[in-house]
Amino acid sequence: MSNRIKYLLYKDFIMLGRDIAGIILMFLMPVALVILMANLQDSTLNAVKGTKIQLLLVNRDKGELGEAIVQEIVSTGLFEIDTDGADTIFTPAQMEKRISPAENLLGIFIPENSTELIRGNVQRFVISAFNGIQKEPLKDEIKLSIILDPQAKGSFYAVLMSTLRERAQKVQFEYILKEITSQVNTISPVVVSTGNFTGEQFTIDASFATRTGSNIVPNSVQHNVPAWSLFAIFFIVVSLSGNIIKEREGGSFTRLLTMPCSYTEYLLSKAITYLTVALLQFALMLLIGVYVLPLTGLPALELGQSLFSLFFVGFASAVAAIGYGIAIGNIASTSQQSSVFGAVSVVIMAAVGGVWIPQFLMSPHMQIISKLSPMNWGMSGFYSLFLKDEGFLAILPESLALFAFGFACFILALYSRRQIRSNF
Amino acid sequence: MHDRFAIEIDNLIKSYPGRSNPTLNGLSLKIPAGSLFGLLAPNGAGKTTTIDILCGLKKFNSGTISVNGFKVPPELSKIKRIMGLVPQDIALFPLLTGRENLKVIGGIYGIPKADLKRRADELLERFGLTNSADKLVSEYSGGMKRRINIIAGLLHIPQILILDEPTVGVDAQSRNLILEELIKINREGTTILFISHYLEEAECICDRVALMDGGKIVLEGHPRELTDSTPECRNLESLYIKLTGKQMRDTYE
Repeated sequence: MSNRIKYLLYKDFIMLGRDIAGIILMFLMPVALVILMANLQDSTLNAVKGTKIQLLLVNRDKGELGEAIVQEIVSTGLFEIDTDGADTIFTPAQMEKRISPAENLLGIFIPENSTELIRGNVQRFVISAFNGIQKEPLKDEIKLSIILDPQAKGSFYAVLMSTLRERAQKVQFEYILKEITSQVNTISPVVVSTGNFTGEQFTIDASFATRTGSNIVPNSVQHNVPAWSLFAIFFIVVSLSGNIIKEREGGSFTRLLTMPCSYTEYLLSKAITYLTVALLQFALMLLIGVYVLPLTGLPALELGQSLFSLFFVGFASAVAAIGYGIAIGNIASTSQQSSVFGAVSVVIMAAVGGVWIPQFLMSPHMQIISKLSPMNWGMSGFYSLFLKDEGFLAILPESLALFAFGFACFILALYSRRQIRSNF
Repeated sequence: MHDRFAIEIDNLIKSYPGRSNPTLNGLSLKIPAGSLFGLLAPNGAGKTTTIDILCGLKKFNSGTISVNGFKVPPELSKIKRIMGLVPQDIALFPLLTGRENLKVIGGIYGIPKADLKRRADELLERFGLTNSADKLVSEYSGGMKRRINIIAGLLHIPQILILDEPTVGVDAQSRNLILEELIKINREGTTILFISHYLEEAECICDRVALMDGGKIVLEGHPRELTDSTPECRNLESLYIKLTGKQMRDTYE
C-alpha cells in the first residue's frame, strides 16, 4: 500500500470515527430496524409459511371414525391439537366458547357414536340393496361440527373440510365393503375376503423444490436480517456521497488534487474505509440475528454451511453500494442533492428489491421488476445460503452481478469527473 | 536581481462553455524566482482560473505555462512537489486536529515522519498555533484557520508558494503575523505569488506586482515605481482604480 493511501485512510477513518451522527445512522439505525421489523413481520411470515395453528379437537366418538379423523388431522402437520376439552366439552355450543384468537382459532367436535351410526346406516343400505328394495332406508344423521374464529383464514376451513370428508368417506367405504362381503358370504359357497384391500389405489409424492426457491418461505429472521443488512450497507451511500461532496465544497478535495495525490487514490481510500464499515455492519447484523433476536422470542438465525460464502455476498453487496455512493458523490452538485437522492434511491431500491416486503409476496410483474434492484440480487444470494443451505457456486451469479454494478458505478464516477474537468 | 523565472505564462487563453468572452484572454506573466509577487485584480478578472490552471485543476485552450522549467500539464506531477497552494477556502479537514491535518498533508507529500514532526512543530510555533495544535480545526477561530491553512501549504518546503487571499477575514494581529512570516519565508528562498484584494498589503510586502483585468495583465512593475510613474495616483489602490475603472467585473454574463 502506498504511503499516500495510508495517510488518506488515516484521515478518512479518523473523520468517520468523529462523525457521531453518521455512526448512529450507519450502525444503530439498522440494528433498531432489524429488531423491530423482525418482530413486526414474525406473525405475518409465519402465517404465510404455514406455522401450526391451535386446533381444539373433541372426539366423543369411541369408534374408528373418530380415531381416523384424529389421525388424519395429526398427519397434515398443519395444526397444534388441543385435546383438553375431552372432559368439559360435550356439545358444539360449549366448544364455541373456547374458540378465540387467544386460545384456538379452530375447533372440531366429533359427536358420540358417530362410528356406530355410520355402521348402522351402511348396514341398512346394503341389506336393502341385497333384498331388492328400491326405497332408500332411513338414515341416522351424523353431524360433525367445525367451529372457526372469524380471524381464521378460509384456507384452514377448506383443509379441515376436505380432511373430514375424506376420512368419513373412507370409513364409510370400508363399512360398505365389509357389509357387502358379509352379505355375499351368506349366499356364496366360497368364502370371500377383502381384509387386505384398503381401497387406496394411489399415493401422492410431494416435495419442495430446492433450486428455484419459489416454494421456500423464510421465517422473519431469515428474511429480515439479510434484508436490513443490505439496507444498512446501501444506506452508507448517503454518508459516503455526502462526505465526498463536503470535501469538495470545503476545498480540502482541491488541496489534495494539488498535492501528489491522484483522484483514483482519493476514491480508493474512501472505498476501503466504507468497505470496512459495511463489513462491520454486516457482521453486527448477523450477530444480532444469532444472539439478540432469540431474546425477543424469535428463532435464532442459522448461518448455513459456508461462512465464507455469506461474507462473499456481503462483500459483493458492499462493493455495489460503495460504487453507487461514489457515483452519486461525483454526479451530485451539492450535499443536499446527494443526501436526498441517495436516501430516496436506496429506499426505492429496498422496496423494489424485496427488503420491506419479501419478493415472493409481490405480484408477478413486480417480482420481475424486483430483479432490477441490486438489493434483490443480494437477497437472492442470502436466501440461497439461509434457506437452501447451498454453497459458493449458488451465490456466484448474484455476487458477480453486484461486483459488476459496483465497478460500473466506479467507472461512471471517474468518467463524470473527467467530463467535468474537461468542460471547466 | 532575479536571473530566472519561477512561473512563465505566455499568451494563455481559457474560455468556459456558454460564455461569450474568454476568462483569460492572452494572459502573459513572468514571475521571477525568489520574488514576492503580487497579482492584483478585481473580482471576476480570472485570478482563480489562473491558479487552477497553474495547479492542473483546470484545462486551458491555448498558450504555454512552465513552473521552474516544468511544463503544464505534462509535468504536473513534478510541479505538484515543488509548489504549495494556500487556497482562499480553509482547505483542511475540520474533524481533524491541526496536527493531524499536517500529518496527513505531510504524509501525502512523502515527508519522513521525523522531519514532518520537526517541520510541523516549527511552523506551528512560527504561526502561533503550538498550544492549539491538538484541537479540532472546526473549533479554531477565523485567524487560526487562516494560519493553519498557510502552514499546510508550507509543510513540504515548496520552491513556489501561491496564496489566494490569505488574510481575508482575519484580525489585525493575525494579518500582521501572516505578512511578517510571508516576508521571512520569501527571504528563505521561496518564490511567493500573493493574490489579494488588499492593495496596501501588496504594496507593503511585494517586490513586484501585476494588475490584471479582462483576463490579461494591464500593468506590471515594482509598486513604488508604478505609483511614481503616475503622479496623480497617490498609492497602488488609486492606480488600480484608474486602470480598471469603477465598473463591477463580476456581474453575471
